[in-house]
Amino acid sequence: MKYLIAEDEIDLQQSIVKYLNRDGNVCEVASNFEEASEKVALYDYDVIILDINLITGSGLDILKFIKKEKKSLGVIIISANNSLTDKLEGLDLGADDYITKPFHLAELNARITAVLRRGKFGGNDILEFNEISIDTKSRSVFINGKDIALTRKEYDLLVFFISNKGRVLSKEIIAEHLWGDNSDLLDNFDFIYVHINNLRKKLTVEGSKYIKTAYGSGYKFMED
Amino acid sequence: MTKKTKLIKKTSKTFLLTGLVLTILSTAVLYFYTKYLLQQEIEEELYSIEARIVDAIKDKKELFSLPPITEIYKVEKLKPQIFKDTLIYDPAQKEMEVFREFTTYETINNQIYQITVRDLVVENDQILIAIVASTITIFVSAFLFLFYFNTARNIKLWSPFFKNLEHMKRFSLTSNQTIELEDSDVLEFSELNNEIKTLTNKVRTDYENLKQFTENVSHEMQTPLAIIQAKIDNIINDNSISDKQFEEITSIQKDIQRLKILNQKITLLTKVDNNQFDKVESVNLINLISMKLQSFKELSANNIVFNYKEELVVSMDVDLADILINNLISNAIKYNSRKEDILIVANNKSIIISNAGNAELLNPEKLFLRFYTETNNKQSIGLGLTIVKKICDLYNFNITYYFKEQKHFFELTFK
Repeated sequence: MKYLIAEDEIDLQQSIVKYLNRDGNVCEVASNFEEASEKVALYDYDVIILDINLITGSGLDILKFIKKEKKSLGVIIISANNSLTDKLEGLDLGADDYITKPFHLAELNARITAVLRRGKFGGNDILEFNEISIDTKSRSVFINGKDIALTRKEYDLLVFFISNKGRVLSKEIIAEHLWGDNSDLLDNFDFIYVHINNLRKKLTVEGSKYIKTAYGSGYKFMED
Repeated sequence: MTKKTKLIKKTSKTFLLTGLVLTILSTAVLYFYTKYLLQQEIEEELYSIEARIVDAIKDKKELFSLPPITEIYKVEKLKPQIFKDTLIYDPAQKEMEVFREFTTYETINNQIYQITVRDLVVENDQILIAIVASTITIFVSAFLFLFYFNTARNIKLWSPFFKNLEHMKRFSLTSNQTIELEDSDVLEFSELNNEIKTLTNKVRTDYENLKQFTENVSHEMQTPLAIIQAKIDNIINDNSISDKQFEEITSIQKDIQRLKILNQKITLLTKVDNNQFDKVESVNLINLISMKLQSFKELSANNIVFNYKEELVVSMDVDLADILINNLISNAIKYNSRKEDILIVANNKSIIISNAGNAELLNPEKLFLRFYTETNNKQSIGLGLTIVKKICDLYNFNITYYFKEQKHFFELTFK
């Protein structure tokens, strides 16, 4: 996949590039408004990660341009502003998703893959990993064609794992993904263990042993 | 604290007290002065009568005593003159009367005479009654008139002051209205107005600046946090770290999360302050709580029991309703000391949330203050209940805390 990362904070921009490159994606960067506008106009991307507050202009104007030109690319807005109006304005203008700083790269990656899966970018709402196939529209999971019953959290976990396959996910990242801002209410991570263990059992029964432990307390979804 | 009295009442009181003291003093002075004058007059009269008697004796006139008015005796030796008061029975009035008596000894034609002259004295109580009655009449009428006149004048004079006081009471930092003060032709009032205007403007600018600053700080913190977060996410995917390092690094994530939540809450508080939540509609709180409980179930081992009989619908912003309920339930979860059931009871005008606790809070009045916390619970930032209070204030809901039977209670009442 080909991404454009329009972010004026170079450190953040480079970190995103590094994380996304692991899947063999092609990442191009734009460090200001003019560069971003030019690249959007000249080249085709699958997804643009667009900071609203670019140093020389507003990311929302780039979004307007993309929509005016009817460009077929997913747009994920990054904002330092956790304001609902910004979020709504971005989504009203046709952004596909919205993420507030600070965010986990795993979370951003999950959002990108979700955008890519949506039909309009040639995706088919199906997420696959070897014998596992997930229909994200009907939220159903199949292993070798067999319907597997998962709880809501187990399903969310599995999608998150597959979206970030091969990457280490700490309990903190997983907790934030599953419970968002309420994750600070978790007195301990027992709940995550419960959900992960249940999911692991359900997958293992079908022969899919992909949930590995990393560094003793983290997880990694991968083939042996 | 001393007792507070109203200005007009206070000035009237002073006026009346001064009046009373003045009346008493002047009555006393008048009484003694009149008494003195009368005595002087009587004594002069007695001297004059005595002089006439002496003259009469010299002229060898036939003299006779007329007790008690005049008494003349021949005596052996001279004695000093005396003035004194004496009581003598008056047959006409059938009572004892006070007489002023003047006794003198004169040598006339080689014969010593004792001459005593007396005159009826106006009685003290009579003078006193007359004086007190007249002064009281004069003073009371004068004071009553002055009192009403002054009070009316004072009220009129101070009216700009009282009106402006009311304006100041209604002044709110958070509203954008500048304070409207009534001008007055009294120089001091006019000066006071100017000072108040300067002061309120200054306070408001400072408040706005502080608010803006808080917003900016929390906004500016997001990007560095995002960079730290992103770098950590990459570090844990490098193969070169140890399990121990992984532990350490991921625990930093918890702190980033805390800062992130802190930022969100500060921004939220500012927005509630700025009244930026305006999606007011009818919110069914029973549905909202039931929905919240579903998501809390996947998050906490605490069992939450929800009892309600009636629907509870309030008019408020949907997002704020969500935050209000969320904060109250998460507070109960965080501080549920003995993993007992958390109880939520709702009726058509209130919600009561209770959780187990070990002891009453030390400073329940500080409960809703920013960053106030009585535990060193790391999960607690100390803004959750402040936000609850802010939201309640915004919609005139009432939130109270109490401790009963080893439980903390939060009662939310809707009007």
